[in-house]
Amino acid sequence: MTLAAQEVVIGEAEEHQYRGESLTRRGIRRLLRKRIAVVCLIVIAAFYVTGILAPWIAPHGWAEQNLDASFQGPSWEHPLGTDRTGRDMLSRNLYAARTTVIVTFATILTGSVLLPLTLGMLAGYRGGGADSLISRTGEILASLPGLPMLILISAALRPRVEDWIENVEEVIFAGWMDPGLRFLRLCGTGRDDVPVECDHPITDTVFDDYFLLVFVLSLFGWVGGMRLIRTQTMTLRDTDFVLAARANGASTFRILFSHILPNVLPLVIVGVSASLGAIAAAEIALTFLGVGVQQAGPSFGILIGEGASRTVMENHPQLLLIPAAIVASLMFAFNLLGDALIDVFTPRAR
Amino acid sequence: MSNRLILAIGGVAAVLILVLAGVLVFVVAGGDGDDGSDGQTQGQDNGSGDSGGDEGDDGDSPEPGGAGELVLRGDDPISLDPAIAQDVSSANYIVEIFSGLVRLDKDLQVQPDLAERWERSDDGTKYTFFLNPRATFHDRRPVTAEDVKYSFERALNPATGSVVAENFLGDIVGARDVSRGRADEVSGIRIIDDSTIELTIDAPKEYFLYKLTYPTAFIVDERQITARPTNWTRDPNGTGPYTLKQWALGERIVLESFDNHHLGAPKLKTVRFELSGGSSLIEYEDGNLDISGIGLDDLASIQEPGSELNDEYVQTTQQAIDYIGFNTKTPPFDDPKVRQAFALAIDREKIAEVILLDAVPLASGIIPPGVPGHTDEDKTYGYEPDRAKQLLAESQYADDMPEITLAESGAGGTVGPTTDAIIQNWREVLGVNVEIIQAEAATFFNDIDQGRYQMFHLGWVMDYPDPENILDLLFHSRSRQNNTRYENAEIDQMLERARVEQDSEARLQIYQDVERKLIEEAVWIPLFFNRAHYLVKPYVKGFTLPPTVIERFRDVEVER
Amino acid sequence: MDGLAGYLLRRLLFLPIALLIVSFATFYITRWGPGDPISVYSGQYRDPEAFERVRHKYGLDKPIYEQYGIWLRDVVTEGDFGVSFRYRDRTIPEILGPKIWVSFRVGLWAFILSFAIGIPAGVLAATKQGNAGDPLIIGSFLFFQSIPVLVLTPILVLIFAAKLHWLPAGGFDGIFSKSIIIPTIVLTLPGLAGIARLARAATLATLHEDFVRTARAKGLRGDVVVMRHVARNSLVPVMTTVVGLSFVGLVEGAIITETLLGIPGVGSFLFESVTGRDYNVILAMVLLTTTLFILANLIVDLALVVLDPRIRAQGGQLR
Repeated sequence: MTLAAQEVVIGEAEEHQYRGESLTRRGIRRLLRKRIAVVCLIVIAAFYVTGILAPWIAPHGWAEQNLDASFQGPSWEHPLGTDRTGRDMLSRNLYAARTTVIVTFATILTGSVLLPLTLGMLAGYRGGGADSLISRTGEILASLPGLPMLILISAALRPRVEDWIENVEEVIFAGWMDPGLRFLRLCGTGRDDVPVECDHPITDTVFDDYFLLVFVLSLFGWVGGMRLIRTQTMTLRDTDFVLAARANGASTFRILFSHILPNVLPLVIVGVSASLGAIAAAEIALTFLGVGVQQAGPSFGILIGEGASRTVMENHPQLLLIPAAIVASLMFAFNLLGDALIDVFTPRAR
Repeated sequence: MSNRLILAIGGVAAVLILVLAGVLVFVVAGGDGDDGSDGQTQGQDNGSGDSGGDEGDDGDSPEPGGAGELVLRGDDPISLDPAIAQDVSSANYIVEIFSGLVRLDKDLQVQPDLAERWERSDDGTKYTFFLNPRATFHDRRPVTAEDVKYSFERALNPATGSVVAENFLGDIVGARDVSRGRADEVSGIRIIDDSTIELTIDAPKEYFLYKLTYPTAFIVDERQITARPTNWTRDPNGTGPYTLKQWALGERIVLESFDNHHLGAPKLKTVRFELSGGSSLIEYEDGNLDISGIGLDDLASIQEPGSELNDEYVQTTQQAIDYIGFNTKTPPFDDPKVRQAFALAIDREKIAEVILLDAVPLASGIIPPGVPGHTDEDKTYGYEPDRAKQLLAESQYADDMPEITLAESGAGGTVGPTTDAIIQNWREVLGVNVEIIQAEAATFFNDIDQGRYQMFHLGWVMDYPDPENILDLLFHSRSRQNNTRYENAEIDQMLERARVEQDSEARLQIYQDVERKLIEEAVWIPLFFNRAHYLVKPYVKGFTLPPTVIERFRDVEVER
Repeated sequence: MDGLAGYLLRRLLFLPIALLIVSFATFYITRWGPGDPISVYSGQYRDPEAFERVRHKYGLDKPIYEQYGIWLRDVVTEGDFGVSFRYRDRTIPEILGPKIWVSFRVGLWAFILSFAIGIPAGVLAATKQGNAGDPLIIGSFLFFQSIPVLVLTPILVLIFAAKLHWLPAGGFDGIFSKSIIIPTIVLTLPGLAGIARLARAATLATLHEDFVRTARAKGLRGDVVVMRHVARNSLVPVMTTVVGLSFVGLVEGAIITETLLGIPGVGSFLFESVTGRDYNVILAMVLLTTTLFILANLIVDLALVVLDPRIRAQGGQLR
């Protein structure tokens, strides 16, 4: 789903009014009754679990070349065969899944949950100056063409950001996270025989590459969700129970947290499901074009890029088809789930 | 909104779908209004058949003479101004539209062009050029010595914005005064009469004539540039065998023969470059292109004897080299033993075989093939893992190897497979984990210049066939192109001697000694020379891809 | 219509402000980041002093705010967007014009088809709700949307161009040529799901409205009801909203498609310009797209207000 389609989905949900407190719980129960939704959830969960466990499941490192084993078919040693330089395809696909997991998770957290929630509730509840500022900024960000801006910022700022991060890390972290990071296999290429530094949580690990990408994706992704939450908050602000709570002297924070948040949650859930596909697709596209993830690990963008040349497709189609099938299935699951969620949370269209 | 409006919208939508379906059927089944595809011939004299944004910049229309059209892929040039453009894409067109006092022939020998003969003074510093009386611009105005002086001074003028003028014209006395803004005229250029001009250079350099074959030294039309300073390149009034007939940005460039050319009218009338499109191999197979390059992926299948395209396959070794350079001033590569160890740890043969499918020859030295001074004898380090390990152990960084990074230019998400394999070699043989930095072109070269990288993967293309263009330019300690920061007084002296050595054999010997020393000290690891692989249709006669960028279409004939 | 005129004015005033902010930000990002077009387009000769002289010629050695001021002045007073470092022989409008025209034509069929197929399919799905038809239609569209463009394009090229030689492998020869088929397919498929879903949702919403049930109770035939009442109410908001946003989707999809198929449009060019740091081109394109987006949103919102009486009655949730 493109970033644009994501907006379309959110816009659609916007058409309806939300009421009641346990909407979230009711919604989830209804969701789980749909078979399709359950299947999708299972597929997505399987993907994410595999991605997280990749360093432990993968039989080889993702960068282990073996020029004598170039372009091999499936075998015991390499269940999915090898690529041109003899790297194990199974491992590469697994690590690529990890890349997607990390990028989507981090981006969703900031761009679809934290940012829209805080900014949306703030803008909706407080109104006035805060609202204007947040809304106008959002409008400007929203009128920029998404993908081109991502490319521009990634390309132009990468070296600067990397330098900056290194400096900050030197000061703050210097070493004490080493054992933890190693345990989580967040450094290096999944090989045990090569010594790697693992002191800094960002520069030495996979997050070095992803940082800028997540930052940029979040920067352009929060606007849609923010708008929805803001509208909903404004509506809720004037409802009876909120007025009553204010009359009783409840603090802003408490009102936001206990009354508004639960009713806004469905929007967040829908937003998350809508964005997941868009973010995964954006990461793949950016990496394919060369401005996304580079060294931390393979990405499906890279795998597809390697597999998509004519001769490779003709002679070794599996190099393209396997990552393509994985990505397509994942996207399909995201999309179907999103569709189901919208069905569930919009009372009329049932 | 009324019901009628609804129906109207619905009706329109329905009609639209039907029309669309009909059109698609028509398009897929039958013809498109375009020029010959579907495996038909391409050699016809094709007039204008253009589609899409035509810039409407027609050059002058030539008289009949010369026949046939050649179609190939091309890239948009950055600029057609010979003084500005420095890239291969632009040079490909510039060498056809413009020309200089001298040119290189197919064997890369210096031949007369706008100058029909020249004399060299005994001390080797004065060249007197006698212009060919039949030499004219495309508008038939004769070329004069004044034009030559104007062109050189314009190229050196900082207002023009050339980054290489000093390199190619800087040997002329007084040239640097102009390029640094200290003077308006070059004192070493003297007009003797309308068709005679004298150039004085600062030392007897054998290779000076070669430099005059480079686009920066091409002759341009003063009147045209003064009259239309910002858009004269739309239809440039050049002196070369071809005129620019059309340049539709991003779509196509068409060159048409200039039949009044002083060296004879070109045999080939039109050259059409398609600037966009999908895979050129597929277009070649469809008959839309007469010549096509071959990518690494397709090479294997074409090289097989049974392949249909095998008869049309040609390869030419280019005068270029692919190498890994070291920053000789930063640890650990300030220790020659480390550099040598790294050089001995690469299995180039295997990489060439498996990854590059033997598409490129292993570099036997630094001087590329075809350049005087090159020998096929392999002077480079081979693959000797044990010796490599030993050297590393003997070096001063044996126990204390700093982090090492290799930088290469790359916009793709993948590291080039060659570099990947090399890194793997180092890891296995030396136990050193080298990280790769993929830098964008925009920053890569800058960073190399500033010495930010310990080692880098680069290439060099010869601008003219003389070893000075690579050994002196890249390894002399005071040369600005020296990216390895290599400083060796002895080498400097040898290079300086070679610049002015008159005996060509002795001169080449000096360069060969320099080359040997540089390889031995592993200032570079020469990896591969370049080879171009392409397909040529059987009805195209007389076409070869020269080892360097020089004109190539004049003698081509398309027999259809 | 005081409110409307005032609203329009406010929105239009936003445009120049947004452009200023966007241009400033883009200017800074591109020039502050490392790399500059002089070194990119200078071939293999690295002569730092010569580069400095050329930078000086183009004014690139001035402080960034000064460069911005000069650029702004030139744009506003003369419409001069500056020089492109990639194509030094052409002005920026001359470069962008044909490319935009190419991209526009490439996307045209896809745009039309998305609606021509998407909306009827969505309405159909809504009427079939309860049968297998509904999820089948939407599901298959979602499936198409799930296949990445990156994958679909090479596969289509392989089958139809390399193997069957039915279609060209890329390039662009006009909207009625064979070269438009693959891009159209690739650009239409992802958007169908969104449009169909919206159409379906809007149709469903209307189907449940009282007046529709009344009409049905009166005995009017089902499809007539749909056509008259449902279409009127659902089509408008759907179309207006989605038109604006599909445009966005097309622009983004175009970058990849154009790059993969070698189409000389504005999408692939934008990518080239960014990696080549062709400052002025990047700026011009960002300004252009921002303007288009803002205008598209404006038109969409206006259309909604004008055409849908319900929103007008409510006084509008005009943001």
